Amino acid sequence: MEHTAGRLTSSEPGLGLRPVGAIAGFLAPALIIYFAFTAYPVVRTIWNSFFQVFPNRPDEFVGWANYATLLFEDRFFHRAVGNTLVWALISPVVEIAIALLLALALYARVPGSRFFRLAWFTPVLMSYVVVGIIWTWIFNFDWGIANGMLRAVGLDHWAQAWLGHPDTALPSLIFVTTWMWAGFNMVVLLAAMHSLPSEVLEAAELDNCGWMAKLRYIVIPLVRPTILNLMVLSFVGKMRVFDLVWITTRGGPLWSTETVSTYVYKRAFNWNTFDLGYPCAIATIWFVVVLGGVLILTGLLRSRDKLEY
Amino acid sequence: MTTSIRFDLKHGFLVVALALYTAFAAGPFLWVASMSLRTTTEISAEPYALPDTLHFSKFAIAWTDGNYGTYFGNSVIVVLSAVAVLTVIGAMAAHCFARYRFPFRRFLYFLVFSTIIFPPQITIIALFQILVEYGLFNTRTGLVLAYVAFQLPITVYILESFFARIPSDLYDAARMDGYSEWEIFWRISLPVAMPALSTTVILNTILLWNEFLYAVVLITDDDKRTLPLGIQKYMGDQLIDIGMLATGLMIAIVPVVIVYVFFSEKLIQGMTAGAIK
Amino acid sequence: MKMPRGILFAGLAVALLSPLSAATADTTLSLWSHWADQDAKRAYVEGAARAFEAANPGVTVEVTWYDKQPLYAALKTALRAGQAPDIFYAEPDQKEYMENGLILDLTDRLNWDNLESWAKDVWSHEGRAYGLPLEAWTVEMYYDAARLSELGAMLPDNGQFGQQAFLDLVEKAAAAGVTPISLGVGDRPYPGAFLSHEALLKMLGVEDYTRLLAGDLGWDDPRVKEALGFVKAMVDAGALPNTFSTLKLGESHYYFHTKPGALTFLMGSFYPSRAFQSPDKGGQPAGFELGIMRYPALDGAACNECKTIAVGGSYVVNAATEHADMAVAFLNSMATPEMGNKWLEDNLVQTGIKSDASKITGDNAGYFKALAEVNDGAKYFFGLPRQVMAPAPREVFDQVVNQAFPAGLVDVDDVVDQMSGAY
Repeated sequence: MEHTAGRLTSSEPGLGLRPVGAIAGFLAPALIIYFAFTAYPVVRTIWNSFFQVFPNRPDEFVGWANYATLLFEDRFFHRAVGNTLVWALISPVVEIAIALLLALALYARVPGSRFFRLAWFTPVLMSYVVVGIIWTWIFNFDWGIANGMLRAVGLDHWAQAWLGHPDTALPSLIFVTTWMWAGFNMVVLLAAMHSLPSEVLEAAELDNCGWMAKLRYIVIPLVRPTILNLMVLSFVGKMRVFDLVWITTRGGPLWSTETVSTYVYKRAFNWNTFDLGYPCAIATIWFVVVLGGVLILTGLLRSRDKLEY
Repeated sequence: MTTSIRFDLKHGFLVVALALYTAFAAGPFLWVASMSLRTTTEISAEPYALPDTLHFSKFAIAWTDGNYGTYFGNSVIVVLSAVAVLTVIGAMAAHCFARYRFPFRRFLYFLVFSTIIFPPQITIIALFQILVEYGLFNTRTGLVLAYVAFQLPITVYILESFFARIPSDLYDAARMDGYSEWEIFWRISLPVAMPALSTTVILNTILLWNEFLYAVVLITDDDKRTLPLGIQKYMGDQLIDIGMLATGLMIAIVPVVIVYVFFSEKLIQGMTAGAIK
Repeated sequence: MKMPRGILFAGLAVALLSPLSAATADTTLSLWSHWADQDAKRAYVEGAARAFEAANPGVTVEVTWYDKQPLYAALKTALRAGQAPDIFYAEPDQKEYMENGLILDLTDRLNWDNLESWAKDVWSHEGRAYGLPLEAWTVEMYYDAARLSELGAMLPDNGQFGQQAFLDLVEKAAAAGVTPISLGVGDRPYPGAFLSHEALLKMLGVEDYTRLLAGDLGWDDPRVKEALGFVKAMVDAGALPNTFSTLKLGESHYYFHTKPGALTFLMGSFYPSRAFQSPDKGGQPAGFELGIMRYPALDGAACNECKTIAVGGSYVVNAATEHADMAVAFLNSMATPEMGNKWLEDNLVQTGIKSDASKITGDNAGYFKALAEVNDGAKYFFGLPRQVMAPAPREVFDQVVNQAFPAGLVDVDDVVDQMSGAY
């Protein structure tokens, strides 16, 4: 470690100072809270995953048995993993693509941008509970506005119980989270765009660069670190999505919206067994998967992170 | 910046597209806002109608009978404290990870970051035991600490990547001027990082303001409960009292909007001020 | 010593209680309960609490009210951490409480003489009994009498249509644009299954039905397919609301009696707790003609008089409580015939406490009479399938039989395959 630190220091001049007191002072509060309230529960969760944990009984060591069941036998879990992965892979891309378009519109100084910024942000201001209820209504077969609009334009046969059919339930929920988070991503992207050096853009303007070219060669590369951050946030958020599903479908119909988080919750609280070991094993596996996902995502997108401007 | 606006076809299309998206994005919110002034009976009869009588008294009813006054106060105390603590200690840690080299730096950062994803539904059981052991169960302090711990990894993650991109010249200059390490953090890092700080403040405020699971499990006394529990009151098993639910939501949403409006200005301004160029 | 605060409420059942010794003074009994938004049940429990406080100076009963999901989350966390309240709400399917020794064995402590023997059976696990069965309910088929006569249908004298007659009725209603049966599974894992398990129970009779749920009788039994076939025929005839999958329990009541209105409503007999509220609280409209019929008789059924009764909300005592005697005494203060009748009258739903519905007078006497009539001669199976099934089949049952099958997403053979594969 000493070596690594030394190498890092020499490769990045100006960051070489190591005032031990200051470092300790800066880190201590966060680390104390972290170790007291986060690390211990997490370590305990990992530990529990190798046991059968019942109250009023000594824990029974089962080795990798929970993991074996999960990986090879538990079809509910496999279904949940599939759904969650679909969600976590589609959402970041769609959300951020829309957010980017919106941010560009505001960046181009359309009139009333302050109003748009607030209006587009409203979805995320509402809690998942309310969002869940509202969208259950919007998707209601009889009087929901989604079917209402389809019927209004004569597409009656497209009208359906959106959350009630296995083929449409998951896409509908992905649609809702996209609606919810596009505005938030837009605001952060917009801020990043405003921090771009205006000389570069003006130069591009003089060179008679097209709009698309400017976007592709200047704007996107420059806000790339922000995009990466948002992608990771969105990915992680979807990998643990719970509330929205719980309010709207509880994982149904036919497990088509079951996510890993809802399944963990069911196993821990709803399955009428008090065993905590198995849900802990799910949590641990998922922890590894998400961490791996984040690292891959970072690796893919960070290659050109070290931009100088 | 010379993007001029000409009223040609392309812009016409843009305006229509933006208007449509705005209706789509804000429509549900406006719908809830209109429902907050209508009674549940009216809403059930005609879900999409505009209010014909404005039932402003519903706000008073929610505030007093629904105990929203108490919940609101608790939420303000808990979320405000949690976000303040989070912002300060998260920024300190992020600054440290980004600007100093020390043993186990990467390891510690990775450790903090990795817990970003543990499902709260599981860890809450151990957290509960800890709070009981520390005598913090069923206290607002306990809830604040749980919230800080919960959002800390993501806060550090957002801030660290921002701090890491601040040019070193700024720091070198400050050191030349004889700034202490604390002053450097307080007077260079924090102001420059205003946009990133705003992002975390907005994100943390929104998420914690609406947080439900910890709030219901870690607090049992009604007079210590927070707003999401108050909202729960109107979506009971008997009947979802959507009229009152909407009213409650509008009460709950005001502080978040204020935080958003204020900090999103900071976010944009901070960026345009061109602190990092 | 605190002064008793609830003296005004002392007129209930306290006379039967001998006040406990002075050594127990200044204790607080904590109780976590569901029913946060059910005023009648709250008032009933709070009334009992105040009366108990009055009879036992120095004792305070502190009730925290929750809705069901938040309660379970809080309770299961607290129990695991050893911090649960002295008394809490439970339902008899929660075998895990008994298996793990988390709740007090009440076999020799509760006044079982004042409780129904079937309720004791439902709350028994390996020969010991654990809960005070406050709420009990049967699965009933409510109907809108006005709509039934509009459709020109005549209910047979015994209150039970035959299989084909009911199917015809379903088709007729659907053709007239009236939803035949209001039902929704938006927030509960059981109402959609009513349709199937009542048919299965009738077709198989109590004994074979019990074996089926336990996995001792195969789901590919021809009688099972026949019973499910009847359900499938109803579903295909458009018996259920289009919004079935997301319609919540409370909303399905409103769907039945107000908007858009349905012909029948297959629901637990806790129906009045919602429907007998005022219309602005989601209750049925004034002048609504409520009737109760029996679930249709199946051709070739073993037991057409069979139906389900379930014990619902009950109170149990935390095994780790420091005030076990006091907690049991509080439960016993509710286990009296007077409190049983009061339960019926206040809450309009059955109870596991021995009570006499014929003593009910006033506005709701007629309702109780109708309820008694459809339950006359009934042979009960105790508990919902999901209350007696093992966890894995139950998960499949919840998803398939409760939701996908009535929603028309799968057919009879799929149900049989899925259920067979789940044991």
